[in-house]
Amino acid sequence: MSEAILYTDSPTMDVRLKIWRFDSTTGDRELKEYEVEAPEWATLLDVLDIIKDRVDGSLAYRKSCRMMICGSCGMRMDGGAVLACKTRMADIVASGRVPTISAMGNLPIVKDLVVDMTPFWSKFRAIGPWLRPGYDRPDDGKEYRISQERMNVIHKESLCINCGCCVSECNAMESDPEFLGPQALAKGMRFVGDPRDAGTVERLEDYNDSHGIWDCTRCYYCNERCPKGVDPRDAIAKLGAESIKHGIDRDMGAKHAKWFVKSAMTTGWLREAELVPKTQGIVSAIKQTGFALELARHGKVPPPFPPHVAERVKEARLLYDLVKEQGRDGALGIVQGEHALARIEFLEEHGARLNAPEIQPGVEPPHAEG
Amino acid sequence: MKQVAYYKGCLASLSAKELDSSTQALAPKVGIELLELETVTCCGAGDIHEAEPDYYLHLNARILAYAEATGAETLMTICNVCTLNLRQANYQLKIDDALRARVNKNLETVGVPPYSGNVEVRHFLWEIAEGEGYELLKQAAHRGLKGLKIAPFYGCQILRPSKILGFEDPDRPWSLERIIEACGGQAIDYPAKVKCCGFPIIQAREETALGELIQPIEQAYEAGADAMVTPCPLCHLSLDAWQSKLKKATGRDFKMPILHLSQLVGVAAGLHDSELKFKRHVVSVDPVLEKLEV
Repeated sequence: MSEAILYTDSPTMDVRLKIWRFDSTTGDRELKEYEVEAPEWATLLDVLDIIKDRVDGSLAYRKSCRMMICGSCGMRMDGGAVLACKTRMADIVASGRVPTISAMGNLPIVKDLVVDMTPFWSKFRAIGPWLRPGYDRPDDGKEYRISQERMNVIHKESLCINCGCCVSECNAMESDPEFLGPQALAKGMRFVGDPRDAGTVERLEDYNDSHGIWDCTRCYYCNERCPKGVDPRDAIAKLGAESIKHGIDRDMGAKHAKWFVKSAMTTGWLREAELVPKTQGIVSAIKQTGFALELARHGKVPPPFPPHVAERVKEARLLYDLVKEQGRDGALGIVQGEHALARIEFLEEHGARLNAPEIQPGVEPPHAEG
Repeated sequence: MKQVAYYKGCLASLSAKELDSSTQALAPKVGIELLELETVTCCGAGDIHEAEPDYYLHLNARILAYAEATGAETLMTICNVCTLNLRQANYQLKIDDALRARVNKNLETVGVPPYSGNVEVRHFLWEIAEGEGYELLKQAAHRGLKGLKIAPFYGCQILRPSKILGFEDPDRPWSLERIIEACGGQAIDYPAKVKCCGFPIIQAREETALGELIQPIEQAYEAGADAMVTPCPLCHLSLDAWQSKLKKATGRDFKMPILHLSQLVGVAAGLHDSELKFKRHVVSVDPVLEKLEV
């Protein structure tokens, strides 16, 4: 047993890693391979610690809590952002894979695995991540209490630890570096959905700016990467729904979304030929005439008449009126489905455990048997 | 024959009719009988989910209910966006009994049969990438692709979020490659095959979308691809129709032919011109057909 693991009597494994080393002062870049002995329970962060202690003290990476709370150790493994402290190495070693570790994407690299978080923090600051109090103190002088139902609206967004994993592979930010991005917008939803906050409309106006909500390209990398289950794309959809609920629909993205609603309730199917003028306005649509004609030559602009109408489309219209009466508009329409989505992994088709305990945010789960 | 409720979605009924015709012609050759759904509507394409999410859930519940009424256990999609929207709503309705009860009450009020949660939503890609569909595909693709270099392009919403899609590893997918090889083509590997084509924002944020769109096309082009193939008609529309805009914006004219999945397999299976409808593409597919001497 090597010195590196004197602190444990656990069985060990040989871990091989490749790490992209980078020095921003010289611009030197090199893929180096390391092999170390580590306890079988080791995480990626444990392995990096062993490399730094025993092999190469010049390796740079961030860390602090080692338990998925501080959000410091975001980095890429084989191109996908992970928290190093959450990533166990045993299965990877067993599969024979030699993973490549590199710095997160969409942020400038300072050294090795350390990125400059300045653009991240400035977008975070831009959404105003503080409460703008607008509530009356309860008469009894006690603290202002929020119902569980209201808290559920922002439960997921409150879990964010600002690690940047969602930003790392954001496809929209790669193309538009000014995009506020999934972390900042998810945090924005955390305040828009907070019943104590008085800035809802002002915030939604801000987030509707040209690099805000409607810049999201729905690639779902953020949901895939988030190590805490925040699902930032869903938070952005909540902001879109809240914006439209509050009549903030000047952006082409909002107009585009509203046209689908209109199409569904009138013909059932997308009224495709009218989508461009309804989204961009008539003037802009006319400027696109050349492009549209080229598409039309290949049958890509289906004529609006006669419309393609679904049978029994009246049901879709009646359904619209019915759900509007029931008042689950805005973010609530998404929040109501979150409980089920959180339980997908317990479904039979995802590998048994149908009888997993019912866990609701804020409610103590029943104790497991045995 | 496996009977499936066939949800073609908006584009295959409108600007991408070639996707519908090639799927209809190919399905029986891979053991699938399509049960047409006449009463269903758009899934909302992610837009209704963002504008009126409660309405999104009800519209999708209505689609699932009519699919269930056909007696089929599978609702088969041919579009990534339909797949994600329907699977997401399906999980919400299957798992949350109280939510399903509320939605069903609303469906019944407007005359729609209730949904009991017994339908599985699956993309055509998954039906032919494994199991019996894959075995039949190998027999059906008798004409082959003569080693043509094909770049698989997955797009986003058939891979991510994997919790909801779940068919394959979203970072290391294999299904398209397996089908390309089974048809006698050579699958090209390139990093952007799992990235976004930019379509959802191509009208509201064209510049950002084009910045995304150029990546897969450029990488496939540089890897020597004869054509790209995609399981999504929205990806198809941006990859095919917006190439002229890329040319205008960057000066680069890739002339990259883009095939729907059912067209690629369809060519190898010897489907007719009238079923493949390549004339409906903006970028000419002729160079591919010439190499195949079709």
